[in-house]
Amino acid sequence: MELLQYAIRKLVSGIPLILGVTFISFVLMVYFGPDKTYELLGKNPTQEQIEQVRHQLGYDRPFLVRYGDYLRELTTLDFGHSDSTGERVNGLLGRTIPISLALTAPGFVLGNLLGVLLALVAAYHRGGWIDKLIMGGAVVGMSISFLIAIIAFQLLFSSSYGLNMFPVRGWDVYSLSDYVRYVTVPTLATVFVALGYNTRFYRAVIVEEMTRDHVRTARAFGTPPWKLLYKNILKNSLIPIITRIMFSIPLVVISGSLLIESYFGIPGVGKVTYDAITTGDQPVLKAVVGLTAVLFVLTLLLTDILYKVVDPRVSLK
Amino acid sequence: MTAMNRLFLLAGLALLIAGCGNGGGSRDPAAAGQKVYRHSMDQAPVSIDPLQGATVYSNFVILNVYDTLYSYRYLARPYELTTNLATSMPQVSEDGLTYTISIRPGVHFVDDEAFPDGAGREVTADDFVYSMKRHFDPNFISQGAWVWQGRIRGLDEWKEAGSNYAVEIPGLKAIDPHTIQIVLNKPFPQLVHTLTMGFSAVVPREAVEHYGKEFSIRPVGSGPFRLERFDTARAVLVKNPRYRGEPVDLAALGYDASLHDGLGLEAIEGRTPPFVDRVDINFVTEDAARWNSFSKGNEIQFAKIPTEQFDAVLSSKTPPTMRPELVDRYNMLDLVAPEVIFNTFNMDFEEFGYSDDPEREARNHALRCAMVKAFDWEQRSERFYNGIAKIFPGIIPPAVPEYDPDMSRESVTRDLEAARKLLADAGWTPENLPELTYGVAASVKQRQLFEQFRGFMTEIGYPAEKIILKQYATFGDISKAWKLSQLPFITKSWGLDYPDAENVLQLYYGPNGSPGSNDANFANAEYDRLYEQSAVMQPGLERTTIYRKMNQILVDSCVSMMGLSRTNLLMWHDDVIAYPDRNIVGGFWLKYVDLREQSGS
Repeated sequence: MELLQYAIRKLVSGIPLILGVTFISFVLMVYFGPDKTYELLGKNPTQEQIEQVRHQLGYDRPFLVRYGDYLRELTTLDFGHSDSTGERVNGLLGRTIPISLALTAPGFVLGNLLGVLLALVAAYHRGGWIDKLIMGGAVVGMSISFLIAIIAFQLLFSSSYGLNMFPVRGWDVYSLSDYVRYVTVPTLATVFVALGYNTRFYRAVIVEEMTRDHVRTARAFGTPPWKLLYKNILKNSLIPIITRIMFSIPLVVISGSLLIESYFGIPGVGKVTYDAITTGDQPVLKAVVGLTAVLFVLTLLLTDILYKVVDPRVSLK
Repeated sequence: MTAMNRLFLLAGLALLIAGCGNGGGSRDPAAAGQKVYRHSMDQAPVSIDPLQGATVYSNFVILNVYDTLYSYRYLARPYELTTNLATSMPQVSEDGLTYTISIRPGVHFVDDEAFPDGAGREVTADDFVYSMKRHFDPNFISQGAWVWQGRIRGLDEWKEAGSNYAVEIPGLKAIDPHTIQIVLNKPFPQLVHTLTMGFSAVVPREAVEHYGKEFSIRPVGSGPFRLERFDTARAVLVKNPRYRGEPVDLAALGYDASLHDGLGLEAIEGRTPPFVDRVDINFVTEDAARWNSFSKGNEIQFAKIPTEQFDAVLSSKTPPTMRPELVDRYNMLDLVAPEVIFNTFNMDFEEFGYSDDPEREARNHALRCAMVKAFDWEQRSERFYNGIAKIFPGIIPPAVPEYDPDMSRESVTRDLEAARKLLADAGWTPENLPELTYGVAASVKQRQLFEQFRGFMTEIGYPAEKIILKQYATFGDISKAWKLSQLPFITKSWGLDYPDAENVLQLYYGPNGSPGSNDANFANAEYDRLYEQSAVMQPGLERTTIYRKMNQILVDSCVSMMGLSRTNLLMWHDDVIAYPDRNIVGGFWLKYVDLREQSGS
């Protein structure tokens, strides 16, 4: 009951957040975003045709009326059709979000799991050569741009100039083996870059936990290292770890990964979002922005609940 | 495992499974014994509705899923018109105003749920009339209406009267199910060319109404292929089993053994296209990824060679020659694009263009001519187009028959001394030269082009700080600035819609000024008179002479720095039988693609 009450309270308090985000982003779209009119016109348009296209796009309607429509669309989850392709926005997102999720999930999970693992090892050997080695590797991962990592991994694992073991492009996935074939190289590139940031962050959190009295006491009582790391340190470090992971989820779900999708020819939501931003495809943008805001509110709620799960001292009141 | 954990696990698996599905395709078709040709393009089409077929990418797909009345002969160069859905070339009345066109009987649209019983019905003349009317229906957004605007009797009036499809248009009629009649307001010799364009593709009304806005991604045509899948990464076309294919007559397609020998085209003689079961068109914007996929061997089989790979591929640039070790694996074709890359002054701006003060106007003319002389086309080609672009004087490019190879090249030959003298004689000094705003759609390459331009101009004493870069976030934004005449200087490329110089000469026709295609807002009475005179003339020496006069007027007025056409290098795997020239011909050639026996996997 306490949980339900808390959830309702949290969701209601999320409404102003959603209104704020949608309003600001809609102002940006309308007054500062690309004008789609001139992309849809022919090579030799007349003023009448310009007006006609503006009317069809709804640009000639008052701002507040359009914003009201946006809120109605968000509540009914019906965002109409893309101004570019004409495809229903719901269908477009329904088709591409699962692909992006399937593409980014392994990298996201592995990047965080390995990050935590390496951070534990580095923190345990703080100041020693193992710590220096891991942190040095993390700095290398952070220093190399994602784009370079993608090109290098594609060249190394997929091209005829390298090992030629995986496809360069495509997403013809009909079985688990197909999935592994297409997702391996993008995952390796993602993990390579994410690992640096994750390891450094998690190490800092874990090192701080290691200086606590209860850890020193456990050490003094001869607790084995694995038990010390898992029960006494990791469990007590979970709050910041969960925070970091949870707040990455909305971006992973909605934004996908533009670079990965472009270089590996994967029809995910990242490219759809990028195209919508650069061409001013407002129906798609409204959906992406609105859903991201809603997802953030849900993530906030879920994060609080997870805090309670991992630390019973946390109160939901 | 707790119930909560199980729930999370199940949800995760469900999402992964959903992501693994790929939209109704089948298992690897090549492994199933199908012939699969894997093509690539450097951009993705946005829409496959003929109304929005303005880009070469959209047009490429449209021409393969829909039928147009006419097309171009596959192998004939210069480009030659031929029939497609039409049975013969049109019968034209003596006054050049009435075109009567017969279409093939027994041609059917592909089966689709849009039709009452799911079976594609016969294509009729009414479908063509409907398809053309759509461009003038304000309920749709058309990028192609400009092609026929003001040309077909009663069509514009039909639009003004409310676009009622039940109302017959005097100049656009189906005389019977297989005969179309078009009546023009005045002669329009390029009409048949426009009937090869994707804009004129024939669509069924049932499908437009059934799919609504999604018709743009669910094409229902009668072309050689049917669209199976379309997303940001790929379009998959499968053979239309009901396509009205006719056996190939290579001679009729323009085959010339001296030009086409070695491509394996002889293998398609007498056979009925399309020859492949499936075409995967991959949209690969990143050059590195396209090259990796192409050179891998079992992925894409065709690619435009990225600039950075030229040295790896070519043993010589002039003429482009492939390295000997690659000859056994690949074919290569170098093609001058049917386009004009040019920079133009906007004559609306008094700083550079027209002025009420005759003295200022004369000084502006001198200023423009000095800047034209300062521009170095050779360096532009060398730095940005691998030194193999085609540079030509005037606006008429080499791709059209009216091109004059003997025209003086003075306007494309750099002459710094003459430029400085022109400035000095007209009283221009670094202090009184006007500021020039150079607008571009933001990109690294555009920035580099700007820096090179500014470098050229500083060499004649133009202060660098007076040449200002203005960047626009998107193409739509800069297009808006052009259309609203907000920029004094415009850098542009124009891809030809058909092989007739009229298509580029109209860029300077006065009535086409902003927001029309005349971004230069060039207004010259003699030029306009010649344009109007030639616009109704059939091709021939007399018309070519007028075209060339107009071209000379443009050069003499120094309205633009012109021009250049890029040379594209195309490569395809040796197991592909094709002549993959998409210039002008568009995507018509795809139905003639075949694969040698060992291929398809």
